[in-house]
Amino acid sequence: MNCAGVRDQLTEHALGVLSVRDAATVERHLQWCAACRKEAGDLQRATAVLAFSPAPAEVPAELQDLVVARVRSVAGVRTAPPAPRRARLAVAAVAAAVVAVSGLGWGAVMAGRAARFEARADVATMQQRTAIEEFQRLVRSAEFSDPADKVYIGRLLPAQGAGGGGAAMTLVSPSIIDLAIVMVNGVPPERWSTLPFTVHLTAASGARLKVGRIDALDSGGADTISREFNRDLSLFDRVVVVDAQGRVVMSGPLATKADVASPSP
Amino acid sequence: MEGLLAGNDDAIRTLYGRFGRPVFSLGLRLLGTREAAEELTQDVFVMAWRKAARFDPTRGRLSTWLMTIAHNLAVDRLRRETGVSRPTLVLVDEVPDAPGVDEETLLIERDAAMRALASLNTADRQLIARAYFRGLTAREISEADGIPLGTVKTRLRAAMIKVRKANEGKELM
Repeated sequence: MNCAGVRDQLTEHALGVLSVRDAATVERHLQWCAACRKEAGDLQRATAVLAFSPAPAEVPAELQDLVVARVRSVAGVRTAPPAPRRARLAVAAVAAAVVAVSGLGWGAVMAGRAARFEARADVATMQQRTAIEEFQRLVRSAEFSDPADKVYIGRLLPAQGAGGGGAAMTLVSPSIIDLAIVMVNGVPPERWSTLPFTVHLTAASGARLKVGRIDALDSGGADTISREFNRDLSLFDRVVVVDAQGRVVMSGPLATKADVASPSP
Repeated sequence: MEGLLAGNDDAIRTLYGRFGRPVFSLGLRLLGTREAAEELTQDVFVMAWRKAARFDPTRGRLSTWLMTIAHNLAVDRLRRETGVSRPTLVLVDEVPDAPGVDEETLLIERDAAMRALASLNTADRQLIARAYFRGLTAREISEADGIPLGTVKTRLRAAMIKVRKANEGKELM
């Protein structure tokens, strides 16, 4: 692309709305063309002015710690143990349980027993049962002894033709932080090209909360994500997993623990 | 930057202290929810760590670099996530002010931004807001408004140059 073509796109490049491909073309040109680079710099500084125009919002107090932990984690630096608050202990307990579930349900079981199951669906169902049992066991643990705590558990069933399934749990508590844990599994390899999946909690009102993104699945088509929320999750009674194109992969309702039945083996 | 690259706690907190709030505020404006803004803020500082080695202070300000990362990540997300409602178009000078806070630098930056935007007429301010805060391309604006693409591009560029000139000599960081 010549200078005229690049300059035609520099404003949109500075505004960040060019497609990835067009932006890459422009940036390659800017590497060697000083004149266009100067023009791009001027427009970029104008964009930086716009960046500061939104009204300063109130930032969640815990965000700084989350940012530091994320960067240190990516940088490979061991993060100091969290403050021994009850909320953190509870979350840590949940996380540990999920890891245990992951190891049992989707690591060892897949590696050791998968060969004895001819149908992937059988494995997936077994894993969902394991997850739900682990969730229920977790709920009975001391960390969730507050009678006001409410736990909602549910199975995720695949959209027609999608394959796979999953299990999910939310904790709604007046005394500790609310959280959600979602496991998907048995997603057939032919669907892996539609990653990343995005996992949402939804409410009858249409409100939606993102739990997280699944960028990759293990060899059993499984992954687990969790997220803490500084808000009441009690109205969010459904889990929906969508693929990169926004198509529903699987979904399911969350019900109180007493209403949840383990899937049949 | 060396501290950031090493994952140094103090360096990350210093950078966050300067830019955490504007990044979060920009995320909230673009993505519409506090949850999304929180995730974006974390992603921005992780991306800053990944790109820190490539930051060249002789070629641009730290604030420009970091806020560009924030904006690009937010627009990518807007375009990627089907069903995420785009933020309601609100002209920047209609956004209510937050109560005064102990972040003088941020307030000065914002004051400079508001003055620069005030140099534009309403139509041009709205045009820039649609591209910058809603991630609309010139072509999308052209098709929505029935205006020739070349006209949209020319107006966008002229408005951006005006913002740049209005802010000349007021850059802080």
